[in-house]
Amino acid sequence: MDTRNFTFLCYGLLAAWLILCAYVVALVARERKLQRELERLRLLVEEKEHTG
Amino acid sequence: MAVPALRGSVRFLRQSLTIASKDLRSELRTKEALNASVAFALVILLLFSFAFEPTEVETRQISGGLLWLVFAFAGALILNRSFARELANDCLDALVAAPISGAALFLGKALANLALLLAVELVCLPVFGVFYNVPWTLQFWPLMLVVLLGTWGLTVVGTMFSALTVNLRLRELMLPMLVYPIMVPGLLAAVQLTTPLVMGQPLAGDLIPWLRLLIAFDVIFTALALALVETVLVR
Amino acid sequence: MRQKIMLAMTGIAALLLARNLYVMLLVLPDEKHQNAAYRIMFFHVPDAWTAFLCFLAAMIASVLYLVKNDLRYDGFAASITEVGLVFGAANLVTGMIWGRVIWGVWWAWDVRLTTMLVGWLMYAGYLMLRRAIEEPTERAKMSAVVSIFAFADVPIIFFSIRWWRNQQHPPPADLPPEWWAALFMNWIPLLLLAGVFLMIRMEQERIERQLNGLRRTVHAF
Repeated sequence: MDTRNFTFLCYGLLAAWLILCAYVVALVARERKLQRELERLRLLVEEKEHTG
Repeated sequence: MAVPALRGSVRFLRQSLTIASKDLRSELRTKEALNASVAFALVILLLFSFAFEPTEVETRQISGGLLWLVFAFAGALILNRSFARELANDCLDALVAAPISGAALFLGKALANLALLLAVELVCLPVFGVFYNVPWTLQFWPLMLVVLLGTWGLTVVGTMFSALTVNLRLRELMLPMLVYPIMVPGLLAAVQLTTPLVMGQPLAGDLIPWLRLLIAFDVIFTALALALVETVLVR
Repeated sequence: MRQKIMLAMTGIAALLLARNLYVMLLVLPDEKHQNAAYRIMFFHVPDAWTAFLCFLAAMIASVLYLVKNDLRYDGFAASITEVGLVFGAANLVTGMIWGRVIWGVWWAWDVRLTTMLVGWLMYAGYLMLRRAIEEPTERAKMSAVVSIFAFADVPIIFFSIRWWRNQQHPPPADLPPEWWAALFMNWIPLLLLAGVFLMIRMEQERIERQLNGLRRTVHAF
């Protein structure tokens, strides 16, 4: 296989996969934020139920 | 059998025209948006000539693009106010509750906006001709047709999104952000038609596909807007 | 159970991608003008297909929301639009890199890339709009309308830009048939990945709906 322009091919594939990975990271970060919020609200609801 | 349908459409049109004349009268009383829009358009025309210093030949070649950019930017000011002006004193809720269909309300506002936008554009054209020393009246009536069709496309999409974004804090930002990408085919067709017309070419041959595209764009988005506006207005 | 499905999908996708890379790099012959670089097409094109499919699904979900008023359709529309934007971005970036190789410029106003760019801007606007509206039903309704307008515009944008460009560039030549098989083979793992992203995102939408309910409960006391 001719290796001319092979570097560009690598850059291209790398760029595409970086974008997909960045999205995975964003999804994971969002998941964590949502779980924290969920916990916080659940605690609040329990507190209100005990004091109410 | 056809009579009730006919009566229905006449009533629909009458309601739209009532709304249109209300909006126009309201705007003409203060002329706020109109003045701001004309001033903005003139400033852009001025800035363009400082920024690019085009010669007469160059200007004719970019005339379509330049004119429609000016119309689109200045138009956003008027389109934004279209539904925004009803927010004070809960006028919007009153209008939506009134016994007219959302489509009639929309059409009325769109017609008023069309008139206002055309007024701004008809001021811009002679100013453009004077600033850039370009004779633009060689194909006057075909040019007027293109201006009308292009402005209707811009008005329909702009009025629709004006209704959609009326309650948002960042309305002035969201309206252009949403409208301009959607307008790309309409503006492209208008530009491709305007440049040759300003240069004096007749509206024939190569230009006809663009005319068809512009008309198709107008028809499709008018239909979509009329179908969906009720959803957007009812809260 | 969901986790297992997602893991399985990711696993199959990884295997297919490995096999495809082998085919792409070693088995297929070099193209005469571009040598190795053309192989980027096997990711570039399926990215576009995936994005387009996502936007189509978003429009269908939006229509279904307006008809049935079920917020789950709105959740689906939002999630799949986001996934579509990701694959659209991958398409744009690979397109720019490929363009730099074969045309020497980063951006050449090529029909498909320009259409994807305008589409990307429209759907990015969709996501911006969603962030600006807090009330869920309001947000769902407005986004649905924007999604329908946006997708209706996509074919019009494509044709208008094609006419515009035909006045300047002739369109590119057709692809040889043996490449189509490779393109489709590479599309499958991308679709699987899109599916996994979608499932994760939709679960997050469901949690958000749960959160909204909880918030209302908390503030009701």
